[in-house]
Amino acid sequence: MAAVLIADYPEPGFSFENCKRNASFVANGFVPPKATKTGTTIVGITYKDGVILGADTRATEDTTVSDKNCQKIHYLASNIYCCGAGTAADTEMTTQMISSQLELHRLNTNRVVRVATANQMLKQYLFRYQGYIGAALVLGGVDSTGPNLYCIYPHGSSDKVPYTTMGSGSLAAMAVFESYWRPNMNEDEGKKLVRDAIAAGIFNDLGSGSNVDLCIIKKGTAEYLRTYDEANKKGVRQASYRYPKGTTPILTTKTSNIDVHDVSITYVEPMDMS
Amino acid sequence: MTAEVNSYYPDYATETPKQFQFSPYADNGGSVVAIAGDDFVIIGADSRLSTGFAIYTRDQNKLFSLSKSTVLGCSGCWCDALTLTRILSARMQMYEQEHNKVMATPAVAQMLSTMLYYKRFFPYYVSNILAGLDTDGKGCVYSYDPIGHCEKATYKAGGSAGALLQPLLDNQIGLKNMQNVTPAPLTLEKALALLKDVFISAAERDIYTGDKVNINIITKDGIKEDTFELRKD
Amino acid sequence: MFLTRSEYDRGVNTFSPEGRLFQVEYAIEAIKLGSTAIGICTSEGVVLAVEKRITSTLMESTTIEKIVEIDKHIGCAVSGLMADSRTMIDRARMECQNHWFVYNERMTVESCAQAVSNLAIQFGDSDDDGAAMSRPFGVAILLAGIDENGPQLFHMDPSGTFVEFDAKAIGSGSEGAQQSLQEMYHRSMTLTEATTAALTILKQVMEEKLNSTNVEVMTMTPDKLFHMFTKDQVEEALKKVTSLEHTKGDVSTHSQSEVVSTDS
Repeated sequence: MAAVLIADYPEPGFSFENCKRNASFVANGFVPPKATKTGTTIVGITYKDGVILGADTRATEDTTVSDKNCQKIHYLASNIYCCGAGTAADTEMTTQMISSQLELHRLNTNRVVRVATANQMLKQYLFRYQGYIGAALVLGGVDSTGPNLYCIYPHGSSDKVPYTTMGSGSLAAMAVFESYWRPNMNEDEGKKLVRDAIAAGIFNDLGSGSNVDLCIIKKGTAEYLRTYDEANKKGVRQASYRYPKGTTPILTTKTSNIDVHDVSITYVEPMDMS
Repeated sequence: MTAEVNSYYPDYATETPKQFQFSPYADNGGSVVAIAGDDFVIIGADSRLSTGFAIYTRDQNKLFSLSKSTVLGCSGCWCDALTLTRILSARMQMYEQEHNKVMATPAVAQMLSTMLYYKRFFPYYVSNILAGLDTDGKGCVYSYDPIGHCEKATYKAGGSAGALLQPLLDNQIGLKNMQNVTPAPLTLEKALALLKDVFISAAERDIYTGDKVNINIITKDGIKEDTFELRKD
Repeated sequence: MFLTRSEYDRGVNTFSPEGRLFQVEYAIEAIKLGSTAIGICTSEGVVLAVEKRITSTLMESTTIEKIVEIDKHIGCAVSGLMADSRTMIDRARMECQNHWFVYNERMTVESCAQAVSNLAIQFGDSDDDGAAMSRPFGVAILLAGIDENGPQLFHMDPSGTFVEFDAKAIGSGSEGAQQSLQEMYHRSMTLTEATTAALTILKQVMEEKLNSTNVEVMTMTPDKLFHMFTKDQVEEALKKVTSLEHTKGDVSTHSQSEVVSTDS
């Protein structure tokens, strides 16, 4: 048995073994836990030298902010990044998995992977799950064909576009793009435009908030600008909320001594990687 | 005949009787906090009015001064809040004309409760917090559920961030979950600082709370107004 | 009594050419047939004293209730048609309870008087609300109460008019009693003095001999609020009346009874 030496690979794909059980729980009145949704503003534009992706950094659980500074721009390959909106776990896992497949593809082909490939893999994967994987993506990168920008919907459809927005703040952000986007913008103009679009989402969409993240992908380089703009400063509190020592009641104290019988030092050989 | 028609029905979903639901309520969010002291009471409400993920306005005062010593803070379904406060004002005016005196805060508190319970089976979807001075000039706060349950308190948070703020007030004013603390009477300055600070915290985590806080400071000299900026995302 | 009596006294909603509502005036006259009730308001509280007419030795005197509680802080004495008074008392009680229910506070005495007077003037043709009283109430009421404005005494007659008084008498002996009240009342009166005065005057105007079974006494004080005198307390109070008469002599009693005889 191989299991003695190395762990079995888990079955590929999702496990549905608890579906029936959970359905009966729900039927008996159990309220299932909710997934974190990133009510989000994510955008992407193409400009003269490449693409610029942008995202806000708020993650929400219903009406509560669960993460004030989360990352929504995911790495797919050195020349491809992808913004994710929707169910946080789905965007994260999907991009990670496609990222690993793209890396294998790159190793197999010894070429810079194309954005179109990433798009195809993502949409086929999402289509397979009929929208149950709640990932709405803005995919951008630069390859041998030049700058490429796609938006991919949770059910598996996708568009190749010069500029796009996704998430709950997509309308606010698109309003900015429809007003100010032009072909062949330079990098500074592009960065400002993307910042303004994300800021529109941050301020006018309650599902989006906190800071602006940018990712600028040009031929040969990708620049991830985490917290490009801190759109909202946290208020300064007037009073101090430090507690003096001894404020927390200690209910019980128990001390147990560790008896040291013997001390020995073992040298661990490094793994043979050759 | 019927059986024959049925056999032609496809095996995917077809037209079935539709159930229509009457949903007359909106949630327009907003938070209200009131803190009472021995000779004052302060009440604050954020100024954001929203629906779903959209903001209607960043500058909506949710505090209604009902008399020189009584202020009501409303959040929830804004149209209900507007109707409720208008009826409340009318009832207070009628009281004044019938009984030749201004309605005292405890009387307003009780009347609001009966007005809410009157609509027990089609309630005003409003989270109310009433702040005022009683007939002895002491600060008092009354909080309500939408169907008229009324509770007198010295501090209370309500609205969309109510559940986030109440534990903080419990700790800072109620001195809950602490040992070796000496209770001291709450000063107006401390209460104001705390009120602003809790709203800063609420704006961090509640998407329906933000933009600005409107504050009313009620003392025997009347009602003073103050505002305080919050984050706007 | 009314020299211009004519057909104008038939309808309750018809003025006479002189501008009078005869039915209302007759109702006020009806009260003058009722038993005497006296109320005195002092800074310490209000006292009400009422005579009970025991028309038969077989009558159970305790079942005649002329002084009743409206709320803890309001009591009232009535004179006139007792059956009519029940309706008004029920309304007054209901108004007080409703005020407490809605506002969680005691209704002021004036508001209570206002509420009852609203009922009193609702005579005449019935309308959409249902049947109204076809005639004015034949009752006068003395409302004694305490609220945030201190002890108060209100008088209300069948026309629905209500007026605050320091001291007021209603019923058959009211004219003579009111005269005596005018003489006896002073602002610094104590409640005990007022009780004795009320009983003294009542004794003067009553045809029967005053005793603990044919009089009802109630005090309204800030601490005890509505308090009905027990038989013992009434006897105690009556003792003070007789002792006062012994010291002062019987002169005033005599002159007062003369006034009563001219009145009847």
